[in-house]
Amino acid sequence: MKAVYIHIPFCTNICSYCDFCKVYYDEQLVDRYLTWLAKEIDLNYKNELIETIYIGGGTPTSLTIDQLKELFIIINKFNLTNNIEFTIECNPENTTIEKLTMFKNNRVNRLSIGVQTFNEKYLRLLNRNHNNKQVIELINDARDLGFNNINVDLIYGIPNQTFDELKEDIDQLLSLNVPHISTYSFILEEHTKLYIDKYENIDPELEYRMYEYIRNTFKKRQYVHYEISNFAKENYESKHNLNYWHNNHYYGFGLGAHGYIDNIRYENTRSINKYCNGQFLYKMDVLSLEDKMEYETILGLRKIKGVNKKTFKQKYKKDIYDVFDIVPLIDRHDIIDDNEYIYIPIEKLYISNDILINFIK
Amino acid sequence: MEQIKIRNFSIIAHIDHGKSTLADRILELTQAISEREKKEQLLDDMDIERERGITIKLNAVQLKYKDYVLNLIDTPGHVDFTYEVSRSLAACEGAILLVDAAQGVEAQTLANVYLALDHNLTIIPVINKIDLPNANVEKVKQELITLLGFKEEEILLTSAKTGEGVEKLIEAIIERIPAPNGKINNELQALIFDSIFDPYRGVIVLVRVVNGQIKVGDRIKMMATNATYEVEEVGVYTPKELKKQELVTGEVGFITASIKSISDIKIGDTITHEECSAKVSLPGYKQMKPMVFCGLYPIETSKYIDLREALVKLKLNDASFQYEPETSKALGFGFRCGFLGLLHMEIIQERIEREYNIDLIATSPNVIYDVTLTDGSEILIDSPSKLPDRQKIANIKEPYIRTNILVPNEYIGPIMELCQSKRGNYLNMEYLGSNRVNIHYEIPLSEIVYDFFDKLKSYTKGYASFDYDLIGYKENDLVKMDILINGELVDALSTIVHRDFAYQRGRAVVEKLKELIPRQQFEVPIQAAISNKVIARADLSALRKNVLAKCYGGDVSRKKKLLEKQKEGKKRMKRIGSVEIPQEAFLSVLSLDE
Repeated sequence: MKAVYIHIPFCTNICSYCDFCKVYYDEQLVDRYLTWLAKEIDLNYKNELIETIYIGGGTPTSLTIDQLKELFIIINKFNLTNNIEFTIECNPENTTIEKLTMFKNNRVNRLSIGVQTFNEKYLRLLNRNHNNKQVIELINDARDLGFNNINVDLIYGIPNQTFDELKEDIDQLLSLNVPHISTYSFILEEHTKLYIDKYENIDPELEYRMYEYIRNTFKKRQYVHYEISNFAKENYESKHNLNYWHNNHYYGFGLGAHGYIDNIRYENTRSINKYCNGQFLYKMDVLSLEDKMEYETILGLRKIKGVNKKTFKQKYKKDIYDVFDIVPLIDRHDIIDDNEYIYIPIEKLYISNDILINFIK
Repeated sequence: MEQIKIRNFSIIAHIDHGKSTLADRILELTQAISEREKKEQLLDDMDIERERGITIKLNAVQLKYKDYVLNLIDTPGHVDFTYEVSRSLAACEGAILLVDAAQGVEAQTLANVYLALDHNLTIIPVINKIDLPNANVEKVKQELITLLGFKEEEILLTSAKTGEGVEKLIEAIIERIPAPNGKINNELQALIFDSIFDPYRGVIVLVRVVNGQIKVGDRIKMMATNATYEVEEVGVYTPKELKKQELVTGEVGFITASIKSISDIKIGDTITHEECSAKVSLPGYKQMKPMVFCGLYPIETSKYIDLREALVKLKLNDASFQYEPETSKALGFGFRCGFLGLLHMEIIQERIEREYNIDLIATSPNVIYDVTLTDGSEILIDSPSKLPDRQKIANIKEPYIRTNILVPNEYIGPIMELCQSKRGNYLNMEYLGSNRVNIHYEIPLSEIVYDFFDKLKSYTKGYASFDYDLIGYKENDLVKMDILINGELVDALSTIVHRDFAYQRGRAVVEKLKELIPRQQFEVPIQAAISNKVIARADLSALRKNVLAKCYGGDVSRKKKLLEKQKEGKKRMKRIGSVEIPQEAFLSVLSLDE
């Protein structure tokens, strides 16, 4: 299984909570960037069969039609399987029918829509430039064009958000009836506008209640909770994201992208100047067997199903119980073993770091 | 060596008033060291001393100026080491009183000047740092005149930094300080004023020969401990070690005699010959007693042996430091350690962590209590957990100190408020010149051991200087306050407090612990109790969230890094029952907001 992540770091508008790798949209800069992106891919891609592609950002849909055309020319170099999962992140603000049509014509079959909230007050606080009408139109247009695999991103626990406001957001979200939902708890990151403006996280008790509510509500609506922050209708789990949690390999191309190929985890530069000078790589980490087993576990335990013991043994030729001191965790009810998998009990997922540190040297 | 050409002197100065810089200048002028050998400040040879800008261990350097021999004996500049200071002063005939031209006289300086006067030392008052833009020479002169009775013409001005006035000072040392007046034909009496442990040669003893002479091969006796040895080496520091055949009356230097046990060598003791011994010891010898105690435990229980080795080694070099094994239910195996004071305690802890690489849990320091039992017997208690049952106690006495707090007039109010809140009794106040006072209170030492220094600083914007004398024990209504975490008594957190202040302190401790202990997977009650009666409680709510929700674009190394960081934090915690308690929590009572 090989996956490809491509980062499009451009935004016409910077969200107040975002600490991802992004720069303001500039037409000439995008043109230059695409040239270098093509070079990076040429230099590194070994022509393997690719099963998932994910174009994330930044805001991929901030690119013009011509620029997107250029992007797809680059992507056409990849050798894609027939049942490729091909996702592109869409911002309701600038995803036109024209762009959607182009996506469709270039084998994109999954859209991830950055909604974040339906509440106008919080859209403004987060500095999102779209409105609910645009969201609904986008989803309708997408469906009309035949996209049925659609994800919506939602943020909960926004500073000052009340429980009732969250419920309203969830109601609206459910009414869209999309098959995949990612709900992320708000994180106040340094170097973001909200952090600088001294906003504060909501009370952890309230946030926990929100999380519980989200889980229960989605469950009632037949969404399967399959990873800490991800819910999907049957057969709509994101293959691309599961590939990360399975600790499998993936290419990361573009500014600030991360990849995992062979024994190496690497990270690209976050400097657009360096990138557009051919200095793609920021650093690489050669993994030992121990590192790989640690990653396998800490990533695998993000999945509700957990880590498959047999797969672990096949991959590393070791019994997971011989590698990690799991018995005391089972005694404390921090880990459950159902014979096939070990996993974190659902009620402790929200404090999973407390448990995962036991799998770290 | 002609006795009339010897001058033995110390420098008395407050921290940062320029003592080490002045010592360097004097050494340079007497060409004791070449530029190349010169480190930044020569006399302080331990890292920690350098960093903290204080001198912990004493040193003695022999300098040649014209045909004179000058012995500069360094003194520590902190109240914890008053006795050691008094012994080094006893090795001198004179002292330079060094005062910062911008700061004026400080409490610590004053205390040491009084010590020097007690020893009939000739004092040369020097105002240093006259090159500073904010130097106020006239004001400091007036302080020296009114406070200590110096005459204006006695006062010298220097800038140790630029070297200005230093040569004049050396001339003054020769002119004003008398030569030693001992008798070379008398029985040997040499004053021990410091010792250093050398792993190859045993204890190196620093001495001032007061009467007689000491030679290689002599059989010697320590008069207080009766230990006997044969002298192997004698010599002086210039500051490089220079071996000699003998040290004669008036000289300052070192001796070695394959002394394996530093406990044989007591600061202030007198060395004499085994045969033809002196009739009497030199005056002033005291057995040094630790005043502040705390428990030291390795965070990793497997490091217990390492910790013991570190303590053994530290003790070799520091006779005033004590330790004995102790077991805590909460912390496991460790040691109860005794120190001269808080600074001494911090230095030892820092050295263990730094030089021996052992992560420590230190319990809150306490003083030594004198407990009279109902059967009339008396015991000394150096740890709250050793306090007997309430029913068996007739009374408890605690050590008191008398303060010297030097502050500008405008802080008299805040100082009084602070001392009152520390159970102080006002004694009196002296005016020093027109705008400073010396405030005397008697305060229980245990209150000083808590956060007195920090509070003093914040109450006076750093303008106060503070020093104290121990004045004896007083009876008080003292009780043991226990701390229960998740229902479990954590013995290492028990403290002895005054009953009237117990409620307030209990409240503050549980609140502080609630702040310091990270949330656990379940709710944790934190309680303070006296004789099983809960007097304060705070509840630490359960951990709700510790998860990285979003892993952007496959950036999973960030998640691993975060976990590694959390893991590192955990390593510095102690698991007590089912609760993880961080290191700092055990010292929480030191930084309370009462």
